Amino acid sequence: MAKMKFYCDAERCIECNACVTACKNENEVPWGINRRRVVTIKDGEPGERSLSVACMHCSDAPCQAVCPVDCFYTTEDGLVLHDKDTCIGCGYCFYACPFGAPQFPSAGAFGSRGKMDKCTFCAGGPEETGSSDEHRKYGANRLAEGKLPLCAEMCSTKALLAGDADVLSDIYRKRVINRGAAALEWGVNLDKANVRHTPGMSGKASSKS
Amino acid sequence: MSRYFQTFLFGPLFILLACLTLPATAPAVAQQDTGAMPLTVPNPSNDLWRAVRQREAPASGRTQVRGVDSGVLITQSGEAFRNYRMETFIGYAGLFIGVVAALVLLFYLVRGRIDIPDGRSGRRVRRFVDADRIAHWVTAVLFIVLAVTGLTLLFGRFVVLPIIGADAFGALANVFKQVHDYLSPVFLISLLVLVVRFAAKNLPARGDLKWITSGGGIIGNAHASAGYFNAGEKIWFWSVLAFGVVVSVSGLLLLFPVFGLSREIMQLALIVHGIAAVLFIGGSFGHIYIGTIGTEGSLESMTTGYVDTNWAKLHHDRWYEEVKDQAEPTPVSDTQRTPASMQPPAADKA
Repeated sequence: MAKMKFYCDAERCIECNACVTACKNENEVPWGINRRRVVTIKDGEPGERSLSVACMHCSDAPCQAVCPVDCFYTTEDGLVLHDKDTCIGCGYCFYACPFGAPQFPSAGAFGSRGKMDKCTFCAGGPEETGSSDEHRKYGANRLAEGKLPLCAEMCSTKALLAGDADVLSDIYRKRVINRGAAALEWGVNLDKANVRHTPGMSGKASSKS
Repeated sequence: MSRYFQTFLFGPLFILLACLTLPATAPAVAQQDTGAMPLTVPNPSNDLWRAVRQREAPASGRTQVRGVDSGVLITQSGEAFRNYRMETFIGYAGLFIGVVAALVLLFYLVRGRIDIPDGRSGRRVRRFVDADRIAHWVTAVLFIVLAVTGLTLLFGRFVVLPIIGADAFGALANVFKQVHDYLSPVFLISLLVLVVRFAAKNLPARGDLKWITSGGGIIGNAHASAGYFNAGEKIWFWSVLAFGVVVSVSGLLLLFPVFGLSREIMQLALIVHGIAAVLFIGGSFGHIYIGTIGTEGSLESMTTGYVDTNWAKLHHDRWYEEVKDQAEPTPVSDTQRTPASMQPPAADKA
């Protein structure tokens, strides 16, 4: 089976946050929940880059390892999904996840956590595929309809890619080779990741690709 | 014929040889392939992720999404938290609790119940007023409920889930988590009431050191002299306060995720909460053992509020000297409940 992955190309992401909005709309996530977020580092400084981050669907997922009720499962497509009926809202997955993917609605007294919610790769959950229960708890199941996650499908610059890891690698490798050739032609030191601000260089290396 | 024979003989032999040697040559071929490539392909995004990951301080970016640490791309401490919890803490916590339980059992088997050698006097003396006992039992019941629910959440995935199944355990854990969350603030209040009520009697006093150096009379039959509380009880009391405060403060941090505390603080709180709780539970085994089956006549001090005068003389001689004038005959209903005290009251002249 294919292993489904996200890939976000920092050279292409323009921080438009459309993936965040599309995800919220498609999955009708509760108020205060963002399954996906765009983080900009060095905002307004040389070397600014943005990345769209959600669940990375790790092969050895920390959330899955620490869950006290073992509510996570990995699908044949390599997606890490969870069962909200079993989840107790303890928050351990959020502490363990390196990417901050698990999100919790505020529910009950003291503003304690409700059932964890996270990116499902638009693949629903353990409920019957296409059922209203599945949609209510986990959002869309686009994968069952032969579609990819909406965030990646509608990304205007095709920075965010989703799909079979091998296909993504091929796409990305082609991009990098093009960019690398262009950058080397310009004599840019990529180790410093400062492609856009080499003295005497006009324009962007990435615009050559 | 001999050529066919040679083919039959050497053919498989050659294949076998090839199977053994080819894997060794394959990497060399692969290395030649990559070596032939003129350029190592630069990958700006790999560099970016590596830089984000290896940065000492949390790589805090800017994001439109409001949430805890939402500007952080990668937290390094999550992996350490996972490894500590799954590979160190849960194992050692189980080992510790098992060893403490085994030691208590071993002590019981070796030493047996500590009886009152002279038997019961049939006269009793007041030890705990009702307020003391209510404070004790409220705290004790809450402690046991919190310990059972907490231990289930800690070990349940490995112990309970395989037995009752994922769905049933999920439902059970949901209830237990709610019970744990809602009762914990009550436990803190009852603990503080308990501390206020018992603190004065647990201040270190003359004779405590001697009680400790004589081992509290655990070994052998020589009983160490003690006042209202002996040094062992005092150590347990202050341990309860220390563990109780640590467990409560760390628990309160975990209870209120709305304040936007960072994940690092939450991880630390959970680690501290776990260690303190497991030590607390281990200590409670000793306390419960001594207070119930370990010592004759101890439990009734907390159930009825009174103790037999011979028990007081044996375990808290200096306190008994102060209160022996207040001794009164044990009511019949109480003596019926405890057949061991059916002896005539004449044994005690005080």
